[in-house]
Amino acid sequence: MAVSLNPVQIMKDQAEEERSETARLSSFVGAIAIGELVRSTLGPRGMDKILYSVGRSEGEIEVTNDGATILRNIGVDNPAAKVLVNISKTQDDEVGDGTTSVVVLASELLREAEKLVAAKLHPQTIIAGYRKATDVARKALDDAAVDHSSDEERFRSDLIKIAKTTLSSKILSQQKDFFAEMCVDAVLRLKGSGNLDAIKIIKMQGGTLSDSFLDQGFILEKTIGVHQPKRIENAKILIANTPMDTDKVKIFGSKISVESTAQIAEIELAEKEKMKNKVDKILSHNINVFINRQLIYNYPEQLFADAGVMAIEHSDFDGMERLALVTGGEIVSTFDHPELVKLGKCDLIEEVMIGEKRMIRFSGVAMGQACTIILRGATQQILDEAERSLHDALCVLTQTVKDPRVVYGGGCCEVIMSRAIREAATHVAGKEVLAMESFCHALDMIPTIIADNAGYDSAFLLASLKAAHAKEGGASYGLNMDTGAVGCMEDLGITESYLVKRQVLITASEAAEMIIRVDNILKSAPRKRTTDRSHC
Amino acid sequence: MNLKHSAGPPKRAEFQDKEKPAQIRSSNITAGKAVADAIKTSLGPRGMDKMIQDKKGEVTITNDGATILKQMKVLHPAAKMLVELSQAQDAEAGDGTTSVVILAGALLEASQKLLSRGIHPARISDSLLHFSSQAQVVLESMAIPVDLSDRNALLNSANTALNSKVVHEHSGMLAPMAVDAVCRLVDPAKDTHVDLKDIRITMKLGETVEDSKLIDGIIFTQKTQGFGGPNKVEKAKIGLIQFCISPPKTDMDNTVIVRDYAAMDRILREERQYILNITKKIKAAGCNVLLIQKSILRDAVSDLALHLLAKQKIMVVKDIEREDIEFVCKSLGCRPVASLDHFTPEILGSAELCEEVQTGNSKLVTVTGVQNPGRAVSILLRGSNKQVLEEADRSLHDALCVIRCLVKKRYLVPGGGAPEAELAVRLTNYGQTLQGMDAYCFRVFAEALEVIPSILAENAGLTPISTVTELRNRHARGETSAGINVRKGWISNIVEEKVLQPLLVSSSAIMLAAECVRSILKIDDIMPVVR
Repeated sequence: MAVSLNPVQIMKDQAEEERSETARLSSFVGAIAIGELVRSTLGPRGMDKILYSVGRSEGEIEVTNDGATILRNIGVDNPAAKVLVNISKTQDDEVGDGTTSVVVLASELLREAEKLVAAKLHPQTIIAGYRKATDVARKALDDAAVDHSSDEERFRSDLIKIAKTTLSSKILSQQKDFFAEMCVDAVLRLKGSGNLDAIKIIKMQGGTLSDSFLDQGFILEKTIGVHQPKRIENAKILIANTPMDTDKVKIFGSKISVESTAQIAEIELAEKEKMKNKVDKILSHNINVFINRQLIYNYPEQLFADAGVMAIEHSDFDGMERLALVTGGEIVSTFDHPELVKLGKCDLIEEVMIGEKRMIRFSGVAMGQACTIILRGATQQILDEAERSLHDALCVLTQTVKDPRVVYGGGCCEVIMSRAIREAATHVAGKEVLAMESFCHALDMIPTIIADNAGYDSAFLLASLKAAHAKEGGASYGLNMDTGAVGCMEDLGITESYLVKRQVLITASEAAEMIIRVDNILKSAPRKRTTDRSHC
Repeated sequence: MNLKHSAGPPKRAEFQDKEKPAQIRSSNITAGKAVADAIKTSLGPRGMDKMIQDKKGEVTITNDGATILKQMKVLHPAAKMLVELSQAQDAEAGDGTTSVVILAGALLEASQKLLSRGIHPARISDSLLHFSSQAQVVLESMAIPVDLSDRNALLNSANTALNSKVVHEHSGMLAPMAVDAVCRLVDPAKDTHVDLKDIRITMKLGETVEDSKLIDGIIFTQKTQGFGGPNKVEKAKIGLIQFCISPPKTDMDNTVIVRDYAAMDRILREERQYILNITKKIKAAGCNVLLIQKSILRDAVSDLALHLLAKQKIMVVKDIEREDIEFVCKSLGCRPVASLDHFTPEILGSAELCEEVQTGNSKLVTVTGVQNPGRAVSILLRGSNKQVLEEADRSLHDALCVIRCLVKKRYLVPGGGAPEAELAVRLTNYGQTLQGMDAYCFRVFAEALEVIPSILAENAGLTPISTVTELRNRHARGETSAGINVRKGWISNIVEEKVLQPLLVSSSAIMLAAECVRSILKIDDIMPVVR
């Protein structure tokens, strides 16, 4: 064949380029596929997925309903799909909940955009319409939000409702009253600091979810040394990170030369004496609890026991930091200046049995914020999922404490927004109107999917929901998935955090806009891989 | 609603969406049922054992559901959840690990029936929760309170747990052992927890299960150190040391410089003197049995020290693990000593007898007649072969767990399928008072519970249908304690037969099975993940 007929190769071998039509098609298809993947997990009757590991941890399974967890774990190749996976991650980091909604909304926006493109609307026009719609929707959301933070009683009930709404789509849905109280208690203890570190979640297999409980103290998964007090009131705690086996001279190759065994014995004695001095120094801090990150060897352990001091060895790093935080002490490693050291305080330390394990409970700690949630559940999967759900709820609650505005859930906001957009669209002259209408369709899909997942007639429910909103005073109506009817969300107590909703709206429309703008996908040639010979 | 006028591809996706979840669900249910089927023949007193050969060719023979499933190495994700379910039951109640899986299997089957009627899985899951909480109410209403001082009641329930095991002919001996062990640990008035770690079971091959015994003290699998020292000490004064009796060693490296022959001699002499000093002090405190903690940094005890201790008629057991120190202290009422200065008579524990006994080709040290023992006991299990021994260990563990359940929740329910039959009858009736979907689901679930009596009957060689219908009949007439009497081969009042089990076993089995089935029902997709 003549050389002139061959295509001119500009890019490297294996690098790919997809252009206008194909590029757009592939990004729409990818994004819609991701939306399809997670849409069945949306809403109170959403389903779970099993994530089944292949490869290194072959056979491990995870059961989850959390959009971010699902998307984080599946590997995607499609660039547009990757964008959606990323926005779900961002949503998880930013506000912790709404990870599924954001992906579903973005993919619905793209599905609508696909139709508009097919109808020969220019992508930039679509974007302009979407932007306008987003602005309107945001204003509508702002107006719909209510703030009860001035009334403490009311605010608390708001928080509980939000927690319940978040939990209702998770594995904890049946025990949501119980866990919602638990989460709100935990978050309110934080007093607005939003420091989730002070809330520790311990998972214990066995028992059922309703056996879980919130402990008003801090629980350390360690044991107390032999023959030391198992219960101490008004504890003064010294938290240390220091070797309590031997104080080694850390010069490489340091060596002692002696002439007789007796001399070695003397040195041995001196070393022991040194340890005793160290213990004495520690004791001079006037403490009754000593917690060390490192091992406490037999001899010092006995000395502590003799002095009636509770000594806890081998506390893990994470535990130490938290412990220092909650007891208000500081981690020390030298003991020469007892007067300068800040000791941790706590009303009561005792050994407790939780499930099969012995643990140490610190109650009445200096930082009243700390608490521990002990989760019980039949299987590891249930526990893991419960932890994720609780984490979501805790995140949302801390967000709500920061911005106390709330909106109604159950598809209520979506209908409010789409109504506002439709109204605004009547005043717009230009092709953007079409895009704005599409935006409404995408928003309507959220209640539609919620109803579909619960097995109800979504078209009917959506129509009645819209009709309810059109009536006077119907702005608080949403879907009641327990009965499969339209109901007042205020009465049902289905509320969501304003911040989460706003984040969903903005992130989804930004992501959609970004993908619509794409008209060319370039894939660089894959990096040459050599076989990996390294260990593991 | 938008989809009605949408283009081709999304429509296809919509169609798949409906098909796939149903398939996944049915595959999960099938897998779950398969697991339940695999172990159903081992339920009940006439249940059969399974022989499992692992990768290395090691053979395990067992009747314990949790053990069978753990060894089975199932692959299917849903099947795995059932395996974990049996482990959860093991952790929670210790017994009923087979029943919980069979229950879950039956509930899954019932759910499949409901799904095929077109009921949404979320609805089924809700009803199941309602069902299980209602089941708790019924179970509690039929529970018989038990007092921990009532030894007979405890014995009966331990017997029931042991009856299904290969060692059941020894239940007359193992059951009291389990009861005594737990009773020694708890203070019946206030304790609601038992830490089974305080019961140490030592397995030794040889002799028969009948020769197993509860030791009123402690067993060490280490042997005594010999060197002509005693291997039987009466009126033992026991010291537990954490320091070493060997030539001194500093934490830093050290070298001893020897300049001439005389110096060498002197060093040897000094070393001897040093060790002699230690042993003398030990003797001076009145100690005649010495337990030495293992040391990794240096010899815990040197040969010379052993020789000197033997001369002073002190029995030595070395290599006690650091983790075991607390248990040893509890059993013997002594205190660990980490330095020689603290070695005083007060820290010694005392016992009637401390002796080394020959068991087959190995030796054991037993300490008996401890004067002020703490809350810890040891059990020596014997068995003629490894399989029997291991099964005896598992059975004893079950029996201990049963007693522990009674400490936690002091109620008994009749055994022999009675609670399940009662639940089936009562919940069917209760279901009739409900409305809508719940009523329908209750009927199907209640029927599913009858799987337990039915399999019990089947395994015992009775005709399942006539037995179960008779049982149902009796329960409908209000005989709450009618159960399958496997020995007589017919239905009788099972409480009179003293077949009783703790309430916690039955209630947690139903709760856990329901929770597991609910989470399986909620799954609509399985995705491979590369990690």
